Amino acid sequence: MQAFLSIPTSLSADPLSILGAIFTTPAAVSGSVVVVLCVLAAVGTILLLPSRLEIAVRRVGGVFMLAALIILGSLGISHAENQMGVYFWIFSIIALVGAVRVVTHPQPVYAALYFVLTVFATAGLFILMQAEFMAAALVIIYAGAILITYVFVIMLASNPQSTAAGESTLADYDATSRDRVIASAVGFVLMGTLIYVIFDKTDRMPEPGSQLAGAVTQVGAAVPGATQELGTYLFTAQSVNLELAGLILTLSMVGAIVIARRHVISTEPELQRLPQVEIAPMTPVDDSPHSIPVYGTANPRQKAYPET
Amino acid sequence: MSELSFLQHYLAVGAIMFCIGLIGFMTRRNLIVMFLCTELMFQGVAINLVAFSQYYGNFGGQAFVIFVLVIAASEASLALALVVLLFRHRNTLDADAWKELKG
Repeated sequence: MQAFLSIPTSLSADPLSILGAIFTTPAAVSGSVVVVLCVLAAVGTILLLPSRLEIAVRRVGGVFMLAALIILGSLGISHAENQMGVYFWIFSIIALVGAVRVVTHPQPVYAALYFVLTVFATAGLFILMQAEFMAAALVIIYAGAILITYVFVIMLASNPQSTAAGESTLADYDATSRDRVIASAVGFVLMGTLIYVIFDKTDRMPEPGSQLAGAVTQVGAAVPGATQELGTYLFTAQSVNLELAGLILTLSMVGAIVIARRHVISTEPELQRLPQVEIAPMTPVDDSPHSIPVYGTANPRQKAYPET
Repeated sequence: MSELSFLQHYLAVGAIMFCIGLIGFMTRRNLIVMFLCTELMFQGVAINLVAFSQYYGNFGGQAFVIFVLVIAASEASLALALVVLLFRHRNTLDADAWKELKG
């Protein structure tokens, strides 16, 4: 273990040295704390995901998840000396709890409703980042349009299975989940690595005023939060992309209609349909100007203009 | 350094949300919930982009979030149309009902 810990942390390309750095770093967020929290949250997720376990066991998983979130939040508050503001912690905890419930709730309708909660909390985070237009667009598009579509499809494409007692039971594919352990391990290893990299390795990023950052700016000194300037930027620097976005939306609408179109098969027998309408002759039946044939009728001698 | 601290916290929230969505996409068996989890991953990416947009003080990130929303809307409509089509064929939403597509 000593040899493992003494690996120099500068060789960050080597995964072993990254692991060593996690355990030895005097970091902003200590690596071992991140590892412990990720393990706690992974166990909680495994217990909380839909399965045939007892409801009490799943509640234990929920307690684990809440404990991990609260520990992470309190660590963050104490580390950052509360300079993030209380609204950041409120919104992010609401968003993350909602996200966990989206993943772990057995019923799809409730998952969709928790996703609406997550969307609202994310919009709050966007407002804290002075991106008001993004927050409004997120609420309108996600919570207003996409989620309505989801809820409609959930209602259309579900077959309620009611027992004799009248209570509806979950379908088998809702009540169980696949590969809980492997998926949680992969996800939380990724999460721990990302958090560690974010809090420890972001010092090498270009500063806001540097060459790389300034190269992208097109419209003067942009002040984030100015919706008017965002519109100016969109319609000058990104105008072609904006048109392409509209094209993609149109294409997807056409594609969705074509995919979901139901071919209506008429079940009534052939004989009960209306008799085949004879095509009227192109020429008049006789020389009378009142004898112009009428199309679409069974009687070819019917006149267009009744003789008065 | 305070600016960097702000950025780090938002990036962490986005990363956690992305990973939760990833776990949900791998574990859930209902097709609709799987697509909900991809929307969750889109949310995490959008938080990242807006955080970088605020950090660097230009609108590139926010403009990209608009395009992410466009792609998410297209994906939702097409994917849900496919889900409805698949539901009509097998009368179930189980992703394992289409196991033979693994090849």
